[in-house]
Amino acid sequence: MTPKIPDVLADLAGLVARNAMPDVDPAERASALGLSSMLFSIAAQEWDRAAARLVEENGAVRALLAEAPAVLGEGELAGRLWDLSAGRDEDLRISALETSNAALRAALIELHAAVEALPGDAARRLDAAIWAELRTSTERRQIAGAPV
Amino acid sequence: MSHPLDQRLAAYAAGRMPDARDVRVEGLSRISGGASRETYRFRLIWTDPQGAAQERKLILRRDPPASLIDTERRIEFEAYRAFHGSAVPVPQMLWLEEESDALDHPFFVAEEIAGFQAGPGLLWGEPYAGSLEELGRRKWTILGEIAKADPAALGLTEVMEPVALDACWRRELDYWEGVLDEDEAAPLPIIRAAIRWLRANPPRPALKLSVVHGDYRTGNFLYDDKGAIHGVLDWEMAHLGDPLEDLGWSFNPVWSFGRGLAGGLLSRRDAVAAWEASSGLKADLDDLHWWELFNCVKGQAIWVSSARAWIDGGNREPIMVYPSWALQNAQDRATLQVMERL
Repeated sequence: MTPKIPDVLADLAGLVARNAMPDVDPAERASALGLSSMLFSIAAQEWDRAAARLVEENGAVRALLAEAPAVLGEGELAGRLWDLSAGRDEDLRISALETSNAALRAALIELHAAVEALPGDAARRLDAAIWAELRTSTERRQIAGAPV
Repeated sequence: MSHPLDQRLAAYAAGRMPDARDVRVEGLSRISGGASRETYRFRLIWTDPQGAAQERKLILRRDPPASLIDTERRIEFEAYRAFHGSAVPVPQMLWLEEESDALDHPFFVAEEIAGFQAGPGLLWGEPYAGSLEELGRRKWTILGEIAKADPAALGLTEVMEPVALDACWRRELDYWEGVLDEDEAAPLPIIRAAIRWLRANPPRPALKLSVVHGDYRTGNFLYDDKGAIHGVLDWEMAHLGDPLEDLGWSFNPVWSFGRGLAGGLLSRRDAVAAWEASSGLKADLDDLHWWELFNCVKGQAIWVSSARAWIDGGNREPIMVYPSWALQNAQDRATLQVMERL
């Protein structure tokens, strides 16, 4: 999630402390604490699952990138995506997993655009697999009470 | 307890009211929400030339240090002013101040339309729940009135940049894709796929050049418990363009509040019918689909921008984090839904 949770929590700590002072306008205090409460709630939901979902998603995206040479053929893009697919999540800090995730999802965008432009059954199968992963990626990130 | 802005705002008001004496501000307090402008309500109290005491409830909308969206306050001010007194209910605008001397940032002052609600959270309970259909019909009837209005006759082509009918879609898509390019903090594969689809399948030229409110949704108008609307608010993204753009934004699934109805209020078919009846326009379903998907892209760009403003330190209000954390994934899912991939 962006902004990153540790940065936001550190900032909210200061905000809560400021709102503990007696001279804060009640309406502004209510607004600040109400929003802070909602953000704490979302952070709490993300706390336990974040590492697991990032590891799962990074693996799923690497599996899709590994298909690139078979569908795109030889070339710079296919080679680069193949190289990325060989990575592993050895550092399990969330910040490290998020860095890998961003690189992998940026590569997935390139793969998706390339596959869309190709004819043939292999391209259509990979396109469908990419959409399936994108759908699953939104399920991994869902928060309670989301409108969609 | 006085607010730090009380005396400065009173001094500014006194300068704008040369015949008034003893001008003062009371009850200044910030209204929650408003990620693109700081919004305050206050009472302005003065003595008129005849010696009579006067009081008026007003709203102050001041630019924050960094905003969720970058907008021209003059455009917002003129949009309100253009529709005041028309079939589109809006508050009366009083003063626009584009310099930062008076209150540190540019601002405008408007009348407060008091006694009504804006927040969607109250709608689903009593005493409002019984009038949701009527409120929905009013909502899309008023949107049709905005679509029907002639921007030139309103004087808005002087402050809003006109666009050719066949270029409306491209101008908006280019702009919001540019915002994503500039502000995204993490890749957005679903939104990028949507943009590719939008470019490959453009809509037909707009039926007319309309004023586009830009953020016409449940939550941006003042309602009562009879289903009436007393003020359409938050015109900061107003521009000229395809009237279907506003209709598409009003159908963005993130504004359904999980209720399965357009805007949480009305069936989509009834909403389109109300819009068509008042606008006199026909909403082509393919073109409307394009604008719905476009508005998913626009929505995501706005949530991404709010995160960027927070990350870069320009605005550390918690409301800048909330859209990103609470709505980015919902907007991705809405995009999948509109593309029939969910």
